[in-house]
Amino acid sequence: MNIYDVLIRDFPFLLKGLGVAIVLLAALLLIGFVLGMAICLIQLYGPKSRLVQWPLKAYERIFRGIPIIIMLFIFYYGISGVWDISAFGAAILAMGLRSAAYQSQIFRSAFQSVPAGQMMAARAMGMSKLSAIRHIMFPQAARHAIGPWTNEFSSEIKETSLAYVIGVVELTRQAHYIITSTQGNVLTVFAVVALLYFILNRAGNSLLYAFERKLAVPGFEK
Amino acid sequence: MVNDLILDVHDLKKAYDGVDVLKGIGFSLKKGETKVLIGPSGSGKSTLLRCINYLTTPDAGCIKLNGEEVLDTNIDAMRARMGFVFQDFNLFSHLTVLDNVRICQIKVKGKDKASATERAHQELERVGLADRAEAYPAELSGGQQQRVSIARALAMDPDVLLFDEPTSALDPELTGEVTKVMQQLAKEGMTMVVVTHEMSFARQAADEIIFMEHGYIVEQGAPDFMFNQSTHERTRAFLNVIAEHG
Ligand SMILES: Nc1ncnc2c1ncn2[C@@H]1O[C@H](COP(=O)(O)OP(=O)(O)OP(=O)(O)O)[C@@H](O)[C@H]1O
Ligand SMILES: [Mg+2]
Repeated sequence: MNIYDVLIRDFPFLLKGLGVAIVLLAALLLIGFVLGMAICLIQLYGPKSRLVQWPLKAYERIFRGIPIIIMLFIFYYGISGVWDISAFGAAILAMGLRSAAYQSQIFRSAFQSVPAGQMMAARAMGMSKLSAIRHIMFPQAARHAIGPWTNEFSSEIKETSLAYVIGVVELTRQAHYIITSTQGNVLTVFAVVALLYFILNRAGNSLLYAFERKLAVPGFEK
Repeated sequence: MVNDLILDVHDLKKAYDGVDVLKGIGFSLKKGETKVLIGPSGSGKSTLLRCINYLTTPDAGCIKLNGEEVLDTNIDAMRARMGFVFQDFNLFSHLTVLDNVRICQIKVKGKDKASATERAHQELERVGLADRAEAYPAELSGGQQQRVSIARALAMDPDVLLFDEPTSALDPELTGEVTKVMQQLAKEGMTMVVVTHEMSFARQAADEIIFMEHGYIVEQGAPDFMFNQSTHERTRAFLNVIAEHG
């Protein structure tokens, strides 16, 4: 077996695996974004009551404090005991919830780097809190968040490969199948896989960087 | 009875952590009046201004704008009618000058974009910045930024403008361009409360000067009286210090 076999005969399988990895990535980032933003907004602008804040803090700490592999096992075997969930579903859930913990932190420090006077000026002109968050705070926080968010994006791409431990047939597991079923050359296959992850990573980073540039205005340059 | 008071502040009190900062402040403004608030650092001037529009919630007292009481429940609507100009400008950094002057007209007053734009251009003209509409705050000098923030407040058609040391963050050369705009506003009949150490502005534009110390109003009166005939030891001492140190 040589590089051409991997590139021609096995490549469709790798692409399929890549597709699964991308869907997993998109889903977990979306869950992480929505939930992470909600957590951040409640932490910063919600009720100060411990009843509200403490569970959020606990959530954040727990999901940032446990290795993702353990999380994947707990979600897959834990949930599938009571509810019929696919490995793919369990991976999206575990990784999405964990990403939410990270993203909430990213968003929180982004909002916190907007000077307090911005909120004050908006409220002083009669904007409601919600309106001020949406029109004044969010657009500025977003500009601060893209850099750190790009790091989260990059590390989540790499971590989708761990979903393989609970049987999700993503890129890494496809590579494994190819190696075992065709006695393929381990190094060649994984080199191609590595390249695919790398390309995905660079493509995503370039898009995010372009987005950051597009949002840049004087005072928010990179 | 016809109430010609635009702003009526009655027995306002505020404490921070058990320390009384405002100990029962009362004053009022008629339409078109300019009152200048002076006093030593820590006397409660900023706290007073911020209590008037509930940026800080007062502990007790009553504030009426055009006869209508300012309350927690109507605060957004009331704030839309009180312009606030901050020491450090607080222009919205991600928006152009034009958008800074436009956004609250649209999002708060519900104006359409065309009329908000027209009004924004008028107010920018008024503060002498018609040609900087497309600039971002970071591209402007402090004096220009403060003039934009005045235009932003004016575009809301406020009943009263509150200024908290609008020139204190500015170099002396830039101070003049801001006080000039404010003097013009006073002349045109804007109702204003101004905290400032700019005594030349106070002399020329104020209908009345209010001297505050330790959370009380010590004395108030026309500029001429306050500068020349005050019998109050504290007022005289403070004005002397200001005169010496600018
Ligand atoms: N948010 C706050 N929390 C606690 N204390 C405060 C707060 N804001 C103001 N104070 C205190 O209240 C007092 C009055 O402050 P204030 O800012 O109103 O004074 P000021 O007259 O505006 O002074 P300056 O001329 O320095 O601006 C000060 O002793 C200050 O330390
Ligand atoms: Mg002050």
